[in-house]
Amino acid sequence: MKTTRREIMLFAGGSAVGVLFTPAPWRLLTDTALWSENWPGIPAPARGEIRARYTNCSLCTAGCAVRARCVGDQPVALSGAGGHPLSHGALCAFGLAGHHLPYIPSRVKQGPVKEAAAAVADGIAKCGPAEYVVTLDLRPARTASWTYRRAMAAVKNGRYVTPAVDSSVAVDLSKARTVLSFGVPVLDGWGTPGNAIAARPGFRLIQAEPIESRTASMADQWLRIRPGSEDTLAQGLAGQIAHAAAAEGTGLAEREIAALAAQLEQNGPVLVLGSSRLESTGRTIVSRRETPVPAEWQKAAPVTDLASLPDGSVRVLIIDESAPGEYLPWKAIEKKLVADNPVVVALAWSREGYGRHAQHVLPVGVYPEVAGDIPPAIDSVAATFRLSVPLVPVPEACVKPEEFVAAAAGLPVTDTLRERADAIHKAARGTLFTYADTKSVELKDVKADDFWKALNAGGCWIDAPDDKAPAARLTTAVAELRPVEESDLPLVVVLSHELTPGSPILSKLYQESNLRLGPNCVALHPSCGLEDGAKAVFETLLGKCPVAVTLDAGIPPGLVQVSASPAVLDLCASGARAKVGRA
Amino acid sequence: MASPPRPVRAAPERKTPVDNPLDNMDRHFIARGAVRCSTPKFLLWMAPWAALLVFGLYSAALCLIKGLNQTNMDNRFAFGLWIFLDLTVIALGAGAFFTGFLLYILKLDELRSVINSAVVIGLVCYSGAVCVLAVDVGQPLRAWFTFWYPNVHSMLTEVTFCISCYLTVLAIEYVPIVLRNRKLRQVPSFLVFEFELHKLIYVLAGVGTFLSFFHQGSLGGLYGVLRGRPFAFREGLAVWPSTFFLFIISAAAVGPSFILLTTWLVQKITRKRLVRPEVLQLLGRISGSLLAVYVLAKSIDTLIWINRTSPETGFQAWQYYSWKPFGTWILVAEIGVCGLLPALMLLAPKLRRRTGWLVSGAFLACAGVALNRFVLTVQTLALPTLSFDRFLSYTPSWQETGTFLAVVAYGVLVYSFSFRYFQLFPQERELKLEARQVEEERELVGRY
Amino acid sequence: MISANKQIRAARYGMTIDVDRCNGCGACMVACSVENNVPPAHEGATDRKGLTWIRVYKVDNGEEYPNRRTAFVPVMCQHCGNETPCVHVCPQQAVDVDPSTGVVGEMPQRCLGCRYCMAACPYHARYFNWWDPAWPAGMEKTLNPGVTPRMRGVVEKCNLCHGRWHAAKEQAAAAGKPDTEPVSYVPACVEACPTGAIHFGDLNDASSATAKEAAEPDSFRLLEKLNTQPKIYYRSKKDWVRGIAAAPRPGGAGKENSRG
Repeated sequence: MKTTRREIMLFAGGSAVGVLFTPAPWRLLTDTALWSENWPGIPAPARGEIRARYTNCSLCTAGCAVRARCVGDQPVALSGAGGHPLSHGALCAFGLAGHHLPYIPSRVKQGPVKEAAAAVADGIAKCGPAEYVVTLDLRPARTASWTYRRAMAAVKNGRYVTPAVDSSVAVDLSKARTVLSFGVPVLDGWGTPGNAIAARPGFRLIQAEPIESRTASMADQWLRIRPGSEDTLAQGLAGQIAHAAAAEGTGLAEREIAALAAQLEQNGPVLVLGSSRLESTGRTIVSRRETPVPAEWQKAAPVTDLASLPDGSVRVLIIDESAPGEYLPWKAIEKKLVADNPVVVALAWSREGYGRHAQHVLPVGVYPEVAGDIPPAIDSVAATFRLSVPLVPVPEACVKPEEFVAAAAGLPVTDTLRERADAIHKAARGTLFTYADTKSVELKDVKADDFWKALNAGGCWIDAPDDKAPAARLTTAVAELRPVEESDLPLVVVLSHELTPGSPILSKLYQESNLRLGPNCVALHPSCGLEDGAKAVFETLLGKCPVAVTLDAGIPPGLVQVSASPAVLDLCASGARAKVGRA
Repeated sequence: MASPPRPVRAAPERKTPVDNPLDNMDRHFIARGAVRCSTPKFLLWMAPWAALLVFGLYSAALCLIKGLNQTNMDNRFAFGLWIFLDLTVIALGAGAFFTGFLLYILKLDELRSVINSAVVIGLVCYSGAVCVLAVDVGQPLRAWFTFWYPNVHSMLTEVTFCISCYLTVLAIEYVPIVLRNRKLRQVPSFLVFEFELHKLIYVLAGVGTFLSFFHQGSLGGLYGVLRGRPFAFREGLAVWPSTFFLFIISAAAVGPSFILLTTWLVQKITRKRLVRPEVLQLLGRISGSLLAVYVLAKSIDTLIWINRTSPETGFQAWQYYSWKPFGTWILVAEIGVCGLLPALMLLAPKLRRRTGWLVSGAFLACAGVALNRFVLTVQTLALPTLSFDRFLSYTPSWQETGTFLAVVAYGVLVYSFSFRYFQLFPQERELKLEARQVEEERELVGRY
Repeated sequence: MISANKQIRAARYGMTIDVDRCNGCGACMVACSVENNVPPAHEGATDRKGLTWIRVYKVDNGEEYPNRRTAFVPVMCQHCGNETPCVHVCPQQAVDVDPSTGVVGEMPQRCLGCRYCMAACPYHARYFNWWDPAWPAGMEKTLNPGVTPRMRGVVEKCNLCHGRWHAAKEQAAAAGKPDTEPVSYVPACVEACPTGAIHFGDLNDASSATAKEAAEPDSFRLLEKLNTQPKIYYRSKKDWVRGIAAAPRPGGAGKENSRG
């Protein structure tokens, strides 16, 4: 019997209808939901016991106390450890994402360690009589800094260079009734955030700067002065020039300056930040004892200023960029190098700093991977000693900057942090504050081993208060005189300091919102003729670099606010002139 | 036609070229008596639209594979070109249900000459809209969730259900048109099936009207219920905001206009007479009267909104028009230039008889509805709600435009195919015979 | 599963945010992203296509210097209590208001990605995953195991750290507390805020600090006239800040009055 086409069609049709009465098609339909829930790259979460570990954040000298929530040994979240007498449990946006740092894409992962060591040794050997071997330490006053100083003392013609930081002086916010800040970001990344916030109700903040920064918007008074006129205002307030002249130079009204001067007189003690022309009053700036150091270390090279080195005299330069700190423009460094084959080694965790200029870039461990101490913050009246402890293993290819420099100088490698801790313990003063139980004990009641254990489990040594500490002067400050450059470029640069590079999650703050100025971004008044987000070229007398434009009606026309990344700092400082053109 | 039909000379035999087998084969599918261009010419017409369709499918594929980041929509402009397109084509495709309603329920027999075309347009509009929706959602594989976990409070659930059902109805209404094809009707079972199906036509028309009433309305309700967007929010009757009813009236008003427009366009492109002018004028009159009702209702609604609804939410109505480029001109354009004006044009009998005025009126009416949908989708989202929002603008990306053009190309292709092989215009043959008679009479007269 | 016989004491979790204390540091934004496994921005993302469950806006009073005043306002899902706009419009019931906590929750596994809820929300508190989430190599290790990451094509938003609420509930259960009582926990943004500007608590508990603060005369909510009854209260002693909570100011000649 032949099967006709009609019968096949009937069968097919009937089956189609019949199958709808079975669970099959409906199950397949619900299964499509599974397909839509699976996608390439689903991350697998860590599994393990959840526990807390304590450390200190080493992203800046605030060194805030950190409580890391760990799954097994892997930190998955950071928060401020509560009760700390200085940081008060606060942790800034950058510190909150600190546990991401080992994984940032711009991280240096490999480097020619042996070649670099050989080149350094070679350079040291070849060093002529008027030539120097220099270690540039971007975050001085650490224990590692002492190793560098000792190493440079051990090397012939060794010099230890740092940016201008005076760690023997501290600012006491609690003693101020007025704070006059010349562009210093008091409430946005200066000192220890928790401390500034806690002390805030006690003083009147007057912020003098050309662009309304976050600090200016939170201040009690914002003085919109012209860029480069900070010194003029300071002179006017110090009585060195007439108020009228100061008004003309700064763009403020004369009565504003007179009123300000009166305020400073009546509402003291006054803390002045950002200008050394005007003196702070009262005990708002005091000298600070140094954290004790082993006696053997005193045979160390003194601190040298980069500018004091003759041009073309540095044969070997080792830059420790392992701890985020100040960035000195490369041009200033480059001119100090010898003309023929200088050896430049950068110990960096990101390619975006000196990694762009150095011959040899060596990978180093980053914040949650390595142990290191954090020098006391500028607003810590007492000396401190706190460790950033390793929470995750450091990659094998990384070098320890301290060991590299010590090896180059022929110094034996020792556990310098332990030695320092023991020296502090020997001095037997101050208190130990532990984070896990938020208890404070006198150091003399703690054994040396227990002290070391406590520091590694999350703790902080705080020096005894020194009521006899004399008032001092802050000779070095952020944003000193910034006169405006003479040139025919149309815009005046105002730098905005953000801590970059950092975790990619920080894109929330600048790429996925307009809260902060992102890296390689400039902010201009909407009348600039460019569109928001436009690709542009930022050009100064020293060169150019690509940037993205953000429009902000709060930027006065004629100014350009630039995010101070190393690429930008190589091209300009605040007060430079620039132009921004379409790419 | 009082006089008896004169003997008509046989139409000159068109010789089918022996050496074009494709043409020969193709001819068998075309209705007897209908004059259609040669196959190569037809393919030449279809080719660019097919190319556009391919490009559009590529754009859509990019959006499906790489994700919606291919579009320029963003968190503020959650809806963009595609939703505006969907709302507009569904409003324009309302001619399908409304013509069916007028013909089968209200027994306006003159519309029999356009109902098939209306059904095809409706099918094309709705299926195109559904395809674009499938690309517009972030997870198309979950489209069935709305049926499985419906939210009875949501207008979008209602839209999904009704549009899916109505698309099925349209497909069923399209089947007889297909089955009446010259070759297909040679299959007896198809002929029987089509005959039986035709008995249901009144049911289908009724169901189609019912479903359309609800989904056209719900599409309006989508915006009218947004209490978080005072620009779009309207008061109404029970759970239905006024936009529910306004959308129904506007869709019913513009449906006939769109049929009018497309018929006129097809007549122009094919250089044939397909419907009697009276039918187009009837469509224009229906459209005009409904448009007049719509303009009245919309004006009242707008006044209530300006004076009561919006101020009660803390948003003064004039604020909405203070952001460039959306000034008050857009309100005037929507209700006046593209609402009242075409209504008057289409209602005036003298103007209706002139094709230029008729077609312009229909075009303005369609433009008005498109503008109304645009205002509710794009302007609603562009306007700030929080005081620290910015007014943002949006331009569709090429992938979005490509997908939109794919729908247009798809529409033209399907319609062209249907026009060639199916009888979309029953009056065509009749009109052709009349035209030939008139021509012969003229010849005869000319002889003498 | 809550049986019908138990009487649950429903909580209404809410927040008070002191705008005068917020310094726009963005710590809350980072902490929220870390806690909830929000991926970092894709290369093409902008502030209009980003994922910021909590977003801090910089607002000002529209004046020029020296009368210009600025403030920072963090905005997250306001957890509307009355005719919650997004709950009503979701075609799949992927959004619901939990009656025992008042939290407006989102089910990313059910979300179709139609974005109707985003059009409905007047606070722009809902964000769409325009891209597949991607973390740099190795960074997946730092993800929070208590929160599921979402795929591309779905909407997400603040849920008052639902993962932490769950963990608190488990702890309470393990400690033998009755499950009819609301639990006390702290969302990530509240914990991270260095100035302590954000407070969180049960608004139904009249003795809680949050409920008391919400009842203060200087507390206000955003777009109150819309009558969505949000559970996020803002506080400020400055009148102009209170003014920004109402309807938008009309567009001027390019005088934009916000960044954020």
